[in-house]
Amino acid sequence: MSRKHLLLAATAAFLLAHVPLLHAADATTAAEDARSALARAPSISIDKNVLDNGGTVTVTGKAAPGMPVFLEVFNENRVSGSYFDNKPDKEGKIPYKLYLAKDIPAFYRIHLPSFTQPVIDKYKKEGKGWSYLAALKDTGGELAYREPATRGIDGYQASMSATMSGSRGDPLPALDGKDRARRSMQIVKARFRSIEKLLVANIDLKEDGSFTAQVKIPDGAPPGKYFITAATDKNAQSLPVTMENRIAFPMRYMSNAGTSLNIVYPFLITLALATFGVLMGAGGGFIINPILLMFFPLPHNVVAGTVTPTVLFSQASGVANYSRIKFISWKVGIAMGLATLAGAFIGPILTQMITLDDFKFVFGWILFFLAALMFWQTTPGYIAKNKKEQAILKEFQKRAEAAARNKDAGVLAKV
Amino acid sequence: MYMHVHFWGHEFKVNVVVGCIGAFLIAVLSSMFGFGGGPFMVPLMAVVLGLPMYIVVGSSLLAIFFSTMMSTLKHYSLGNFDLDLFLVMFPAALLAGWIGPKIAKKLDPLWVKRVACIGLTLLGLSLLGMF
Repeated sequence: MSRKHLLLAATAAFLLAHVPLLHAADATTAAEDARSALARAPSISIDKNVLDNGGTVTVTGKAAPGMPVFLEVFNENRVSGSYFDNKPDKEGKIPYKLYLAKDIPAFYRIHLPSFTQPVIDKYKKEGKGWSYLAALKDTGGELAYREPATRGIDGYQASMSATMSGSRGDPLPALDGKDRARRSMQIVKARFRSIEKLLVANIDLKEDGSFTAQVKIPDGAPPGKYFITAATDKNAQSLPVTMENRIAFPMRYMSNAGTSLNIVYPFLITLALATFGVLMGAGGGFIINPILLMFFPLPHNVVAGTVTPTVLFSQASGVANYSRIKFISWKVGIAMGLATLAGAFIGPILTQMITLDDFKFVFGWILFFLAALMFWQTTPGYIAKNKKEQAILKEFQKRAEAAARNKDAGVLAKV
Repeated sequence: MYMHVHFWGHEFKVNVVVGCIGAFLIAVLSSMFGFGGGPFMVPLMAVVLGLPMYIVVGSSLLAIFFSTMMSTLKHYSLGNFDLDLFLVMFPAALLAGWIGPKIAKKLDPLWVKRVACIGLTLLGLSLLGMF
């Protein structure tokens, strides 16, 4: 063996001998880090454990002096949320990616030290387009943002052809930790929308490290367990404290909408608006959808997806009535019905891809168009024409009903 | 292109291409935004296709019924349906279907349309954040 080889062998041996040692040293520092983080972890306690349809809880605790404290508050109930990425990237290409989370907390909020209020005010000024990610970074609240990032997110590559075939798109590969956290922030923001709901700067910090904060659970918030955790850095969190929010009839939790409602109000609103819908001959959906969105914190896809089936039954009874007296041209109805089947296959997917603001904008224009139609129906020319049409319609309907009666009578006579 | 239809002793020519494109677009919008498309389907058949009212009333409802059925299934499978909210709204809608026709007899339909016209405009403006 040459001298060179010997040297190499010796170096290898040295390295081999020391590698485990290096690892061990790493492990000790990690363990020390964890221990010291645990020692740094703030303590936390709350003044009550039960709330009755919301209320305010005072959180007190103690952290290492001089460290900012953040509180993460979330509810055990889960709702779905989505974010459609259609903002051009750096190269100007639009990604058209849909991110869907099925189980983000139905209530989510981070409390920040009160000195971060100016930062919050700055983002408030940005209006609807404020960035949750940037606000979390700027306030330091990012280190308390944990729970939504742990929940699963499905990504889809949307495309025209996929939408046409009734699918959300091709599934994207699973998101890695950092990307998942970022996407979850976009989904959480799309779901809760306003900065006031997501970030509250009201933690009062004392020099000795003790802190207090009022955590307000609003009226209509989801029932069930709420978890509150205090954090001073990524590794130093307190154990969660829990409290229970109770609601009683007529409050009821809408599990998919993620909010509790006094059911008397949506009942009365639907009754009044659907009655008016019958009177103007336009069905209630046109008015019920926007009014529900205006008065209750409901997601637009849930409103659209829940109002639709309520219309179904009145339409079914209408079809049954007209078909009894043979007042339906099945040829026309089915030919155009097949076209509507294709259209209605696509529409609901699009509902999830648009934001509440897009929804309101387009709905607003649809209502203007409907108002114009209604106006046209009050013009003298239309009324004159319609009078004739209605007379013919009545005449034919009378004949059809008589024919249906005679047929029934004929059947009875045969029996 | 044209479909021949016999209805109560009369014969009509229906432009199916125009009818189907219109019906498709109405269905996309009505399923996307959660309303019945009746008020748009009736003028499509009566004005654009030139069919008389007595064939339009029943047939437009049938066409829209297809759309609402598919829309309901799709919304349900995509997780847009909330059972609790439905159970609150459905009885209210049924009750409205019973009350509505009773009130309708006592009201001038022209005035109902005028009120609706103003109400819809205001609602539209408020959705666009202008009111």
